[in-house]
Order: sequence, then structure tokens, then C-alpha cells
Amino acid sequence: MTTTTLPTAPEAAPAATPSGAGKEAAAIRLSAAGLIRSEWIKLRSVRSTVWSYALLVVFSLGLAAIMSASLDLQGADVSMVPAANQATFVAQASTFGVFFGQLIVAVLGVLTISGEYSTGMIRSTLAAVPNRLPALWAKAAVLFVTTFLVGLVSTVGSYLVSSAVLSGKGLHAGLFDPAVLFPVLGGALYLGLIAVFALGIGTILRSGAGGIAVVLGIVLLVPMVLQMIPAEWATSLLPYLVSNAGINMFGLMSFSQVPIEWWVDLLVVLGWLAASLVGAAVLLKRRDA
Amino acid sequence: MIQAQSLTKRYGSKTAVDAVDFTVQPGKVTGLLGPNGAGKSTTMRMIVGLDQPSAGSVTVNGKHYREHAAPLREVGVLLDAKAVHTGRSARNHLLAMAATHGIPAGRVDEVIELTGLGSVARKRVGGFSLGMGQRLGIAAALLGDPAVLILDEPVNGLDPEGVQWVRRLMRHLAAEGRTVLLSSHLMSEMALTADHLIMLGRGRVIADAPVADIIGGAGSNTVRVRSPQATRLATLLAQPDVTVTAGEQDTLDVTGVSAVEIGEQAAAAGIVLHELTSIGASLEDAYMALTQNEVEYRTGGSAELQEAAR
Repeated sequence: MTTTTLPTAPEAAPAATPSGAGKEAAAIRLSAAGLIRSEWIKLRSVRSTVWSYALLVVFSLGLAAIMSASLDLQGADVSMVPAANQATFVAQASTFGVFFGQLIVAVLGVLTISGEYSTGMIRSTLAAVPNRLPALWAKAAVLFVTTFLVGLVSTVGSYLVSSAVLSGKGLHAGLFDPAVLFPVLGGALYLGLIAVFALGIGTILRSGAGGIAVVLGIVLLVPMVLQMIPAEWATSLLPYLVSNAGINMFGLMSFSQVPIEWWVDLLVVLGWLAASLVGAAVLLKRRDA
Repeated sequence: MIQAQSLTKRYGSKTAVDAVDFTVQPGKVTGLLGPNGAGKSTTMRMIVGLDQPSAGSVTVNGKHYREHAAPLREVGVLLDAKAVHTGRSARNHLLAMAATHGIPAGRVDEVIELTGLGSVARKRVGGFSLGMGQRLGIAAALLGDPAVLILDEPVNGLDPEGVQWVRRLMRHLAAEGRTVLLSSHLMSEMALTADHLIMLGRGRVIADAPVADIIGGAGSNTVRVRSPQATRLATLLAQPDVTVTAGEQDTLDVTGVSAVEIGEQAAAAGIVLHELTSIGASLEDAYMALTQNEVEYRTGGSAELQEAAR
């Protein structure tokens, strides 16, 4: 540290009289757009974000390639496979990465807020946004949109990889075939939603380790445990778990004997998300930072 | 201007801040002083809404902090140097803070220059020394060119050069008509920087007065004199209300008579003086006197007492 500057006036501008300055710089004020921009800067300027999204894309594309390449048709006549089944297989390969991707973005969602608590950054954030909730909404919006877009890159990318491999084996399905397009969009949507769900949990728990444990518990462990319980109630609960509903939503796997409409699954996921965000909002508003 | 009315904060059964009233005036540097656990930081945190008061209220420029349309323009706050994500660069931290209020990136570069962070602005904050962290905290506080500055221990961890810089900066900001509230455990620092002091003890205001009054109120002003004819001088000065204490190396500590009088009497008597220093009651003395009964974690001897007061 060699430079030590004189306490020159913070700016030559008419800042000398504080009260007057407030009026002259009317453009400087809290705004929703400003908060979104701020959260975007925050999200992209830490390494964990870059790593998480890079992992998401690499994993998805890699898994799509492996799944497509490992398909062994055993000399069957592919032309006999109905187009709908071909599309389903392509869609499965394209969204296979979402199973793992949801864990990555869930961790990212927790870290987005727990990182602020563990470093003390949250005090800077809340001092700038004393009403607090707008900061949470902005964080959720930025995380959702970014994760959805990166999720889309990974599912569309996975489609391109798997359809290239599969077409070599004679299986074909266009991206705009509803049986493909819907899972590709739905998978990305689910990734965005689960990231925000995790953000809420992270805000409630204010701890990285605790938040990640709880989120992964809900996403990964609870479905497994429920599946092992040989009771009617356990089975009937399965479709209403956030990860099961999310995966069911894009139509690749069913956790219910009765087919559930995609929008019901979406509502289930949104319900989990709402519960997590409402809890986060109430606690964020009430607690001392 | 900061105004607190019956401001109270309780944590369970413990009252950290107990119905304090005070006003922090613009155009002055006001120091918030008190032993550990006196409620300084809690008070500062309540001003900017990080802690919710249990009772009472505190306003900044006439409104609750959260009611301002541009909080960062009203108050710049440095609560501790560690209110920054360690994985982010200093510049990105400031850009993110600035973005919330639509403060232009040019202002970010200005405060980086102003605080001397230019060479490290693009490095991650995790690697910063405490001093650099403080500079970044001060940069963030200045971002909105605020009318009120609240700084908790701003010179903590700064090198002597940095301490001087902060001192000048605080005085400069106050001279511009801003309200400056700072806390420090360095009482000598307060004596040099602050115009006005609010002393807290066990969550209550125990003094709220100009620095000079507080020091004067502590009583004795001591003058240190060094002379090869110390014994003669001591006899000369001897009077009922004057106390002369002999120190080492021909030094006398005199109370009850001003440095000017001592100098004149010595000159009249042809006594050579090697040193004539008005020591005055230090702020430490005043502080210790005022907080005698307020120190929460008293440990015994006076050295420890002073330590506890930090």
C-alpha cells in the first residue's frame, strides 16, 4: 500500500451540502432495475457461480454423450421403432444431465446467500437495501433467469450431442418435436426453480453446510427413504416431493400410478418454492442481520 | 443529523442499549466511546436498520433509515471491515453496491482512488490485509456521497499513514457540513479527531458533551517541567493549591498552575527550563473517571481495567 490520497472532496460536484445534494442527484436512488443489476454483478463475480454453471453444462453434455453412445440396438431394425419412441429416447438423453444438474444448482442456490452470511456481506447488502425483501426478490429473479438460461444451454447442447450420436444409429427426432422440446424446456425450467428453492432454504438457515445438507436431503434423500417404506402413505406422497414432481414435469419418469398433468407437477414445484421463499422472506425481515 | 429517542435494544434478558437519547449534529465529528459491551456497535447497527430496536426509535435526517428513497445517499456506514464477500474483487464489490442505487461506475473508480485502493481494486478481497479491508469499507461508505457517515472503529488495522488519512478525511467531511459519527477504542484518536463525544456505559449515555468539556470536567491539568534547577523551581512554585510531584531526571509534574505562569515565574527567577509541557487531563483520564462504575467486565487492577475498557 503505497498510495495514500489526501481527503480530497469526494467529488467536485455539488456535494458540499448534503441535503441539497440529495435533490440534485435525484437519479441516484434504489430501484428494482438497480437491484437486479447489483445481484447480477454479485452472481457473476464469484468463482463458485462460474464453476457451478460450467460443471452443469459439462456434466449434461458428457452424460448425454455417454447415454447415447451406450445405446446398443443389438442389430434391431431401427426403422421399426415408432417415431414417438425415438423422440422419447432422444429426449431422455437430452435431459439426463438434469438429474445431476439439480444437485449442482441446488448447491449454487444455497451458496448465493450463505456466502453473504459467512463473509458478512449480508450487512452491506441490507444496509444498502434496508427494506430487505427487494434484495431477496432481486436475488431470486437473477438466480432463476441465469440458471434457466444456462440450463437451457445444457439441455439444448445435450440434445445436439445426443441427436448427433443417435442419428448415427438411425434414431432421429427434431428439437421442435413436442416430445423433445417440452422436456428440454421443462428441464431447464426445473433447474431454475430448484436453484431458487435452495436460495430460500439457504436464507432460512444462513449457513452453507446446513443449507446444502437440508436441500440435498429434500431433493435426494427423502425420495429414496420414502421409496423404501413399504406403506401406502409413503407411496402416495412420492409424486409430491419437489424433485419427483420436477422430473415428472418434463415427462421422463413417473412416480405415480395415475398420470399427473405437467401443470400439476409445476404447481407442486412452485408450492415447495413458495414455502421456501416465504419462510426466507419472513425470517429475513424479522431477524437482526 | 441523527436523532435517537429512548432507543433500546434487548437481547433476551440482557439490555444492550437502554433507552438512550442523543442527537448527532451535522458539521462536527462526533465520537461514540465506551467500554466493551457498552452498546456502541448495537447503536450504530440500529441507526441503519440492521438491528431492530426493542423500543424507541432513531432517525436519520428526520426519517427512519429504511424510509429513505436512496439510503446510501443518506448514510455511508462502515460497521466492520469484514462486511464484504471474500471471493469478489474490491471493484466488483463496490460496483454491486453502487448498482443498487444507480450510482455510476465513475464514482466507484473515484472512491477507489480516494481510498488508495487503485493497485488492489481488481484483486479478491479475501487476500486483503485488515488495513486494506478498512479502506474498502470506507470506500463503500463514501460511495453514495452521503450526508451522514457512521464508522465503527475506522482506524482499526490502519498503518500510521492511514490513521492520519482517516483523521483528515473525517475532519474534512465534517467541515463540508456532513454528520460524522465514529467509534474508536483509541481515546487519543478521539481526542484528536472528534469535536463532540457521546460516552456510553452499560447501554446508557453517561456523557454527551464537547470533547474539551469532557476533558476539562476530569479536573486536573498537569504541566510537566524539566529544569536543571528543579528543586529551586519546586520551592518557587509551592503554594497551598499547587501540587508539585518530582519525577525522574529533573522533571516536575505540576498541577494547579498554568504553563504560562510557570514559564513567567521561572524567567523572573532566572531559572533555565528544558521542557515545559501542558499535559492536560487526557481523554483517558476523563474516560476512566466517567466509566469507573460502568465497566462491565472489570478484571481487577487498573491496567486490566484499561484493557477491559477497550
